[in-house]
Amino acid sequence: MKRKGYGRDPGLTLRMVFTSALLGLLYVTFAVILFSVLKVSLAPLIVIVAGLAFVQYYTSDKLALRAAGAKIVSREQLPQVYDIVERLAAMAELPMPRVALVDTDVPNAFATGRDPKHAVVAVTTGLLRRLDPQEIEGVLAHELTHVKNRDVRTMTLASFFAMLAALITRFAFYGSLFGGGNRNNNNGPPIWLILLIASYVTYAISFILIRTISRYREYAADRGSAIITGAPEYLMSALQKISSQMALIPQRDLREVQGMNAFFIIPTSVKQTTAEWFMDHPPLEKRLAALSEIAREMGRPV
Amino acid sequence: MALFGRRKRAASVARDRLFALSTAQVTLDTELGLKTAGVAAVIFKPMSSGDFVRAESDMQQLLEATSADTGTKIEQKTDSFGFQWFILRDPDIEDLVTGASTVASELSDAGFGPQLLAAAFKFDGGKDPVYFVYGFKTGSFWPFVPTGDGQSRDNAEELELKSKLEHELPIEPDLTKWLALYNAPI
Repeated sequence: MKRKGYGRDPGLTLRMVFTSALLGLLYVTFAVILFSVLKVSLAPLIVIVAGLAFVQYYTSDKLALRAAGAKIVSREQLPQVYDIVERLAAMAELPMPRVALVDTDVPNAFATGRDPKHAVVAVTTGLLRRLDPQEIEGVLAHELTHVKNRDVRTMTLASFFAMLAALITRFAFYGSLFGGGNRNNNNGPPIWLILLIASYVTYAISFILIRTISRYREYAADRGSAIITGAPEYLMSALQKISSQMALIPQRDLREVQGMNAFFIIPTSVKQTTAEWFMDHPPLEKRLAALSEIAREMGRPV
Repeated sequence: MALFGRRKRAASVARDRLFALSTAQVTLDTELGLKTAGVAAVIFKPMSSGDFVRAESDMQQLLEATSADTGTKIEQKTDSFGFQWFILRDPDIEDLVTGASTVASELSDAGFGPQLLAAAFKFDGGKDPVYFVYGFKTGSFWPFVPTGDGQSRDNAEELELKSKLEHELPIEPDLTKWLALYNAPI
């Protein structure tokens, strides 16, 4: 019953499939151009690409945690979060994920890990400080839906070729500086130019498509949270609290922060990464509208 | 050496911005009903080195000399974080701003600018006391409205103050820098 509950928005599913198909088509075209221009045999190309993908896939969670300054915490350190996550994981039929804490006043949360068995749910101290328990539950249910929907895998896969294209753009540019001169023997445009344009176009288009997919996954996670908790109004008030200007004002004391000057670099870098997390999210009003629509469907209008 | 020269200029610009508070007092009074509580403080981290102790006592002497004219009362307190509060009491906001500026410039001219944390000016007239905190490093003000019970502050009121005063006061645009000063000894 619950398992089916997550994808009960056929319009959203259709848009997601369509965007993913566009992205796939784009990547295949890109691969074909790479293949025909470089004239390398297929095998080494596949090995290199697969190797890169493998490394990215297996290190993405550690990278995400490190970039955010998140530390895995034990049940004793954060019992209130463990209790909520345990209950929600049981309801969503997921194994208990690890829990991580980011020491920053900016209220936020994220999930990472390549599959549910390796999932980590991270919350910031600011989130715990500012939200009520039911609101925290709504946010954690949203993150667990990301785990359930295997969004980390989807987004890693979706952004892999975009990263590859960005990489090639850079190499092709250097190629134009160092190797451009001795390739004038053929009549067509130089290889580096074709590579540069193809990679650039791939990167630009995939960037837009990836952000679109990311927004769809957010709507899906909001929907999942509403269904798991049965109370979308708490996620709604949590979202309003998190994105209000007030959430930016620190609760911390100036003298306390000044005293631990050595750690000051970490909060600012966290701020930047969390801002990026927000960038791929749909606008607040649209998320709230979608949630109140779900609330109506569930027979508890807000 | 150029590095030090630049730093000094930046510090004096920051001090000039401090005086914006005395111009903003009309708006504070007529539009927001906030009046100075007659007290302000410069907060700094003391050092045990002889140079610093000398600079501090020079500064204290200068302040005592000038306050004889203005009638400003001065006092020093140490808080639980180990920060020194150089407290000025005067019903006139302009005297408070001038006094705070003197304390800051004396310390930074002696090379102890990095020890300066902030200046705080207290205002009454609202539900809770309002502090305007001035960061010497950023050269900007931010409002701080503690609500009395422990470590809580009235963010709504603070944002309201920002929107009403940002044309007159250099208000810190980065809200994440609006750090609190709970249990201030003023």
